[in-house]
Amino acid sequence: MEFLGDAAGLVRDLVSGVLLIAGAGFYLIGAIGLNRMPDVFTRMHATSVSDTLGLGLMFVGMLVQAGPTLIGFKLVVIFALLFLTAPIATHALARAALHDGEEPLLADEEGRLVPTDLAASFPDLEQRIESPLTSESVTAPEGGEGDGNDDDTAQQGEDRPSNS
Amino acid sequence: MFTAAILGVLAAMALAVARCLIGPTAFDRLLAANAIGTSAILLLALFGFLTDRPEFLDIGITYALLNVIAMLAVLKFFRYGALGHEQDPEKDPN
Repeated sequence: MEFLGDAAGLVRDLVSGVLLIAGAGFYLIGAIGLNRMPDVFTRMHATSVSDTLGLGLMFVGMLVQAGPTLIGFKLVVIFALLFLTAPIATHALARAALHDGEEPLLADEEGRLVPTDLAASFPDLEQRIESPLTSESVTAPEGGEGDGNDDDTAQQGEDRPSNS
Repeated sequence: MFTAAILGVLAAMALAVARCLIGPTAFDRLLAANAIGTSAILLLALFGFLTDRPEFLDIGITYALLNVIAMLAVLKFFRYGALGHEQDPEKDPN
């Protein structure tokens, strides 16, 4: 039985080692892409590798070591947080970059990379970027008069009694 | 192997710092800063396993939550120029 326990530990170490090294490799690839890519949008594309595959493999590798314990549960919580919020952050970053007038590099007829105004190809793009999403409406309510010093967004400010 | 993984993450972190320093636009720097934050969380978790002190994972959870909030706050500031609701010059109470 002693030998069997050792064998199980050896397999566990091997599996988690392979996962950790593979995850670190993908993480490094993402970081290299962050330096080699030509503009902001392609750099976001490169870091998504490290945020999903690199992070995922390394956390699964640590999960194999931890087993179904409280430590494993904490690992799952951290991984879920990062895994769910990384796409949101990237989406918001791309939206803010487009809103700020950042022009993505696209290939022209000869294959050179030139900054391209996307509004020429997608006529309604500018209007869509300018108009806030329904979930992030930040304009003051129509009827409200004395809410100029309220720091909350409009919907929350309406529901809550004014405290100042 | 935890040591190797930590070295890999440290190298990735150094590359992200380089992008943060040379990045031409503010969005490049912000993307690199987000990558550095993620690397820090990963580094904390790996270091906890390397030294058999899983308390480091709690710090990792805190860092993950702070990372999200900081990123969204900075982006909102970029987009609207303020963290509150946008100023309407016609209905400005001042």
